[in-house]
Amino acid sequence: MLPKSYLAFKWAVYGLVTLLLFAVQSLALNHIRVLHLTPFLYPMLPAVAAMYEGSRRGPVFALALGVVCDLLLPAPFKGFYTVVFPTIALFSAMVAENFFAPGVLCGIFVSTGGLLLSGAFRILAQLLSGGGHLALMAQTSLGETLLTLPALLVVLPAYRMVHRRCAVDY
Amino acid sequence: MKRPVNKFGITVLAIAAITAALLSVMSYFSITSAALPNLAGIVASPFRAVSASITGYLRSWNAYLTEFDELKAENEQLKLQIAEMEGTVRQAESDREENARLRELAQLREQRRDLHFESARILVQDVSNWSSMLTVNKGTSHGVETGDCVVTEEGDLVGVVTEAGLNWSTVRTILDSDTSIGALIFRSGATAVAQGDFALMSEGRLSLSYLGTEPDVVSGDLIVTSGLRGYYPSQLVIGYVEEVRASDNGLAQYAVIRPEADLDSLTQVFIVTSFDVVD
Repeated sequence: MLPKSYLAFKWAVYGLVTLLLFAVQSLALNHIRVLHLTPFLYPMLPAVAAMYEGSRRGPVFALALGVVCDLLLPAPFKGFYTVVFPTIALFSAMVAENFFAPGVLCGIFVSTGGLLLSGAFRILAQLLSGGGHLALMAQTSLGETLLTLPALLVVLPAYRMVHRRCAVDY
Repeated sequence: MKRPVNKFGITVLAIAAITAALLSVMSYFSITSAALPNLAGIVASPFRAVSASITGYLRSWNAYLTEFDELKAENEQLKLQIAEMEGTVRQAESDREENARLRELAQLREQRRDLHFESARILVQDVSNWSSMLTVNKGTSHGVETGDCVVTEEGDLVGVVTEAGLNWSTVRTILDSDTSIGALIFRSGATAVAQGDFALMSEGRLSLSYLGTEPDVVSGDLIVTSGLRGYYPSQLVIGYVEEVRASDNGLAQYAVIRPEADLDSLTQVFIVTSFDVVD
C-alpha cells in the first residue's frame, strides 16, 4: 500500500473510532449524572491522540476535531474547540515527548491536563462574558475531570489500537 | 528537553486561531445559521436521529424490564400473556401520550390564537456541565428562525432558538446561564428579568433579577413572559418562585424560579414560529 493512501487509511480509522467515541458520549455518558455533573469526553480525545501521534500530527488532528465539534456542539463561542483542542494536543505531545512514554500513566496525566485546560478555557470564557462564581466553576471543572477520567478505559485502548495497527514510518 | 512549543506548533495554533475567528465571524454575520454549521448540522441530522431513536429504545427497554419484573413478582400466571401484550400496550401508551399532547396543543391553540406553532422532536439533549441546550428536528425549511420561543404542549416556556439550520435548530433552554428574558410577576404585574444562572443551572432552577428596590415577590408567585417590546410572546409560563434571596453583595434581591416545564423528560416541543404582538 502506498504511504499516502496508508496515511489516509490511518486517519480514516482514527475518524471512525472518534465517531464511535462521540456515540459513547451521546448514548451513554450523557445519561450519567453524579452530583449534578456529567462526564465530558471530548477534551480527552485530542489529548490521547496527540500522546500517540506526537507534536506534528496530533495538533492537526486536534484542529480538525475542534472544527467538527464547533460545528456540532454548543460552545461559549464559535471557534472555542478549534482553539482549545490544538492547545491540549500540543500540551499532550510535549508531555509524551519529554516526560512520560506514551502509555497508561502518560494517558492519565495528559487526559487530566486536557480536561483541566478545557475547564480553564470554559471558566475564562464565562468570566469574560460576565459570569461570576469562579469557585463554583473551578469546582465544576474539577468534578467534570474526575468524573470523565474513568472513560480513559475506553479511549486509551481505542486510540492505542489504531496507533499500533496503523503504525508505519515514513 | 525539546522546546515546549516548536515552530510547527505555533503554526497550528495560528491556523486554529484564524479558523476560530472565521467561524465566529461567519456565525455573527449570519441571520440564521452560517453555511458551514448549517451543512454540518444537515449531515449530522440522520446520526442525531439514530442516536435519539437508540436512546428512546433503550429507555423503553429499561422501562419494559422494570415493568416486567414487577409483573412477574405480582402475577406469575399472567407473565406470558402480559409479555405478548406488552408491545401492543406500549404502542397504545405511546399513541395515548401523543394524543394527549396533541389535545393539549389543540387547547393551547384555542387559548392562544395569537401564537403559531411548529411541533418538533428533540434529537439531542446537551447535558454538558456548562450550558443547557437542545437540538430539535425542525429548521428554516419549517419556518423556524433564530429568536423563536420554544414551549411545551401546555405552553410552558422551554427556551429560545439560538441557531436555525435547514432541518435542525439549537434551542438554549431557560436554565442556560446566557438566557435573559423579560418577565412579569403575574400577581403584582411587576416586571423583572428571568435569567439563567450558572450556580442554579445544576439544580434545574433559574433566577429572577432586577426586582427593584422594594421587590413585591413572594414564594409561589407565578412568573410569565412580559412580552415587552415584542421580542417574545407574552404570558408564556416560565415557572414559580421558590424563594427570595439576597444577592452576594447584599444590596439587591433575586428570586429563585422553579421552571414549570420539566426539561429533563421532554421528548417533543412546540416552536412559536410567529405571534401577534399584544400591547
